[in-house]
Amino acid sequence: MELPAIPNRIETITAFKQNSGMIAAVLPIHYPRSLFRAFDVLPVEVWGPPGTDVSHGGAHLQPYVCSIVHNALSFLKKGGLDLADFIAVPHTCDSLQGFGSILLDFVKPKQSIFPLYLPRGNRPEDLRFLTEEFRQLYRHLSGLTGKKPSEEILLRCIRREEKADDLLRQLYEKRQKVSLSNYSFYHLVRTREYLPAETFISIAEKVLSRKGFDNPKGTAIILSGIVPEPMEVLTTITELGAAVVADDLACCGRRLYASGKSEQPFRRMAERILNAPPDPTRGNSLEERKQYLLRLADQTDARGVVFYDVKFCEPELFDLPRLRAKLKAAGLPSVQIEIDLNDPLSNQIVTRIGAFLEILG
Amino acid sequence: MEEVKALGIDVGSTTVKLTAVDAQGKLIWHHLEGADPRVEDQVDHFFNLMREHGFDGKELPMVATGYGRNLVEQAEKKVTEITCHATGVYNQLGHGGTLVDIGGQDSKVIIIGENSQVVDFAMNDKCAAGTGRFLENTAGRLRVPLDRMGVEALSAAEEVAISSTCTVFAESEIISMIAHGVEVNPILKGLHRSLILRIVAMIRSVGLVPPLMLSGGVVKNPAIREMITQELGEQVTMPEYPQLMGAYGAALIALKNSNRA
Amino acid sequence: MSVSATLKYMVNVNIIGKTALGWQRRRAEHSTFSSSKWRTDILSEPLRIGARTKELISLHYLAGRYANGHRPVAWVTSGGPVEILQALGYYVLYPENHGALCGARRAVVDISTEAENAGYSRDICSYARTDIGSVLSGKTPVGKLPKPDLLLACTNICQTVLHWYRVLADHFNVPLILIDTPFVYDEAPDHAIKFVRRQLEDSIPVSEQVAGKTLEYKKLQEVLQLSKDATELWLEIMGRGKQHPAPLSVFDQFIHMAPIVEMRGLKTTVDFYSQLLKELDERISKGIGALKKERKRLLWDNLPIWYRLRYLSEYLAERGIAVVASTYTNAWGELAPLINVDKPLDSMARTYLYPILNKGTKYKLNTMRRMVEDFDLNGVILHSDRSCKPYSIGQVDQRNRLIKEYNIPALLLEADHDDPRAYAEEQVASRLAAFMEMLED
Ligand code: SF4
Ligand code: SF4
Repeated sequence: MELPAIPNRIETITAFKQNSGMIAAVLPIHYPRSLFRAFDVLPVEVWGPPGTDVSHGGAHLQPYVCSIVHNALSFLKKGGLDLADFIAVPHTCDSLQGFGSILLDFVKPKQSIFPLYLPRGNRPEDLRFLTEEFRQLYRHLSGLTGKKPSEEILLRCIRREEKADDLLRQLYEKRQKVSLSNYSFYHLVRTREYLPAETFISIAEKVLSRKGFDNPKGTAIILSGIVPEPMEVLTTITELGAAVVADDLACCGRRLYASGKSEQPFRRMAERILNAPPDPTRGNSLEERKQYLLRLADQTDARGVVFYDVKFCEPELFDLPRLRAKLKAAGLPSVQIEIDLNDPLSNQIVTRIGAFLEILG
Repeated sequence: MEEVKALGIDVGSTTVKLTAVDAQGKLIWHHLEGADPRVEDQVDHFFNLMREHGFDGKELPMVATGYGRNLVEQAEKKVTEITCHATGVYNQLGHGGTLVDIGGQDSKVIIIGENSQVVDFAMNDKCAAGTGRFLENTAGRLRVPLDRMGVEALSAAEEVAISSTCTVFAESEIISMIAHGVEVNPILKGLHRSLILRIVAMIRSVGLVPPLMLSGGVVKNPAIREMITQELGEQVTMPEYPQLMGAYGAALIALKNSNRA
Repeated sequence: MSVSATLKYMVNVNIIGKTALGWQRRRAEHSTFSSSKWRTDILSEPLRIGARTKELISLHYLAGRYANGHRPVAWVTSGGPVEILQALGYYVLYPENHGALCGARRAVVDISTEAENAGYSRDICSYARTDIGSVLSGKTPVGKLPKPDLLLACTNICQTVLHWYRVLADHFNVPLILIDTPFVYDEAPDHAIKFVRRQLEDSIPVSEQVAGKTLEYKKLQEVLQLSKDATELWLEIMGRGKQHPAPLSVFDQFIHMAPIVEMRGLKTTVDFYSQLLKELDERISKGIGALKKERKRLLWDNLPIWYRLRYLSEYLAERGIAVVASTYTNAWGELAPLINVDKPLDSMARTYLYPILNKGTKYKLNTMRRMVEDFDLNGVILHSDRSCKPYSIGQVDQRNRLIKEYNIPALLLEADHDDPRAYAEEQVASRLAAFMEMLED
């Protein structure tokens, strides 16, 4: 079944700006969307993008830096972020740390840069720190925009994001039944990377209200990693006879944020991020990741995991050997695939996924 | 000729192989030639060849494998090289174990279970370091013909260590060795060692299950066989037609499916 | 803790080990220098302290070998706050130092392959790979490493250590103390300092519990004072490089820095560096430099290339080029002024937030410029270390600025600090040669 019409990135940005809103380009992975929205700034995420002319990035970065960061820099240098008023760089890994730092110190784009540090644990002091970090971001945004949104506005924005995230979760839960192909499903959920929450809400509601859906056909698998790029890999998975029934992707499933509890806005934003599903870049242990993946497999009857990772991404690479061994011991086999954002989907990748599915039978 | 019951075609990046099996799954005919970028035309040409050999391929069940498998319209089913290799080798040799297939573009290690099923597998990563290409490129620098490489390498009493596994780095390493007057054969031996160590790492990453079997074009090179044995302390066995195992496995799968139908 | 382990420790480390190693050192100190391998045509005789360095390191690893069962053992990242653990009597092991030692002894390929065979990618830091390989196989050039009872990872050098120590924590099934130090783009905000302080506080009960002891405040102050003293000495030692000719090169520093990293907070370390300082001052008074003939002076940026120290030192010395300072060794000295014994936790929070690797790329550029001036240098070699992203990202711009804005010749040298497979001898040689030509212009 087809998706309802969805505006693309440029259309969304243009429309938002026409209403005198501003745009923040945001790098992976976690950040408080509601905080930006409270200042009438729309966060639009930059995951690469794939297939960028990387020669610009190469002028600042060594070849052993991952393609997400290389592409982001090339994209910026080529004017791809010209429509953005701000650039936010969460401190996700060593490479994004370096990226943020060279933007501030050397590349110096016209946009203001916000670095954002994410603590690596979920202890009381992490919550306290992150709350303060968001308060600081508020002051920063306030200084630049001259606005001072009240607590009430902040909370309203948070609740709107919570509603969008709740619908996102419903899409995940009912994805078995919303009769969307692998490709369409991810096309839809990844619009959360740039659509204003209210737009996403109305589209998600439309899709969820459909009746009489079929179950997806094929071998049920979980996709783990950073981004499902090139997106045609999802079509390929369908052609190979499999259905992605759950994911542990940085851009998708690892950001199924639950609603916060606190009535204090900054704290609530922090709670949402710290309680998200396990993510190595937030410091979760191997055991936590294993438990989570096994639970996902259990809930969705997934038979295997495809670890689909970006080359040079150490947050992912360190965990894999032990994580895969643990999953295997628990009866959940997996395959590991390495990608570069600028490569087309290679035959070898198709063969690996295909052979893995043949093993699953 | 026995009656042909099923066909397997392996459309690789450098060669295309076709095999035909009888009702017992015996390999009774095969054909191998360089890959043509127009796969459809090449398949047509194969059907003509079969007619010349007295059987009509179009009527027979066929499974396609290899990188170009999806371009073979006549094939009723497409199966990856991994499963096909496992099936082919298992039937030829009559047992499971660890199959190492070293190709020009790709290398794979496949753990084959007791019932010919694939238990686990690994493939080389993006760089060429673990493939036949590594030898071709670097040995090209030494002006040794491909089919002599292994013999020459084995004839060397000495061996120099090649530390770089990156093809480009290794080439520059070789150039400097030659500039320093190092002899060709010890370098060749070092190059083989470097490739073998990459392959051994792949084998270890999935865990060696004896016996060890070899297939793929590169295994005609005797140094590869001997050095794998040295490194792992395991004798290797090889099927009669190491290059045909993918196509043969495909034919066997086609046969099995047609019997089931 | 067990009585037999303690007995073994006493006999093997305190009695046999100390005596034998001390004897070895004295013999080395008293014999006149003669080594056919040392290039006396271009280099001055090695520093006499070398015998003591060897003794200290051997003793350190010997103590490690018998530590389990006798003392609690902690594995710690190189930038980690170690004073609390020292005050509690821990034997502290630095896997990074062990990795450096494996690099210098050319054992990395063998050990790292063990990790690679277990599925660890070659794209992760070679220190981590070497450590994990050693853990999985037991291989190490030092005989045997003690198992940790506690792990401590501090993110002030990189996030990589967090992922690495998560793997260790899972393998050994022991507690992991995380000291998360928010990256300092400019100045550390107040909430970041508080955050680190609280984590330090919270680390105390965990460390106490594992050690089965209570932390004495006075002891902590003592250790902190020793830490500060050693660090200040180290800073002074590096400062001696300002002399013409420089009495020690960075290659000397790379070798003699081991105690400041892995034995910070011990009395022996302070004595060791006092002795080194004295030797350098002797050299200075006699006008002896590390090189027989010093024509040009350079700065080194990033980690050493452990498996090529000698080659690089000789290659440069042959051409009269002394590398006299490095941002890397400087990192263990520059924070000395921040340590305040009267405010242990507060000052530790600051000290451990501010290492160069936890600060922005501009800060590093400025450090390099300042050092070029202070040490009267002619150029900079920036080692682009495939393993170490936090240190290496930014170097392309740093190099360009050094050349274009400050007119300082600078070379970017691609390699890896520990893995020789990512090092191309010919490329390095030709780049160095071209750089030498630049320096002569
Ligand atoms: S892909 Fe990995 S290394 Fe690259 S930015 Fe994302 S988390 Fe960092
Ligand atoms: S990444 Fe760099 S700072 Fe981190 S452990 Fe490796 S060498 Fe050290």
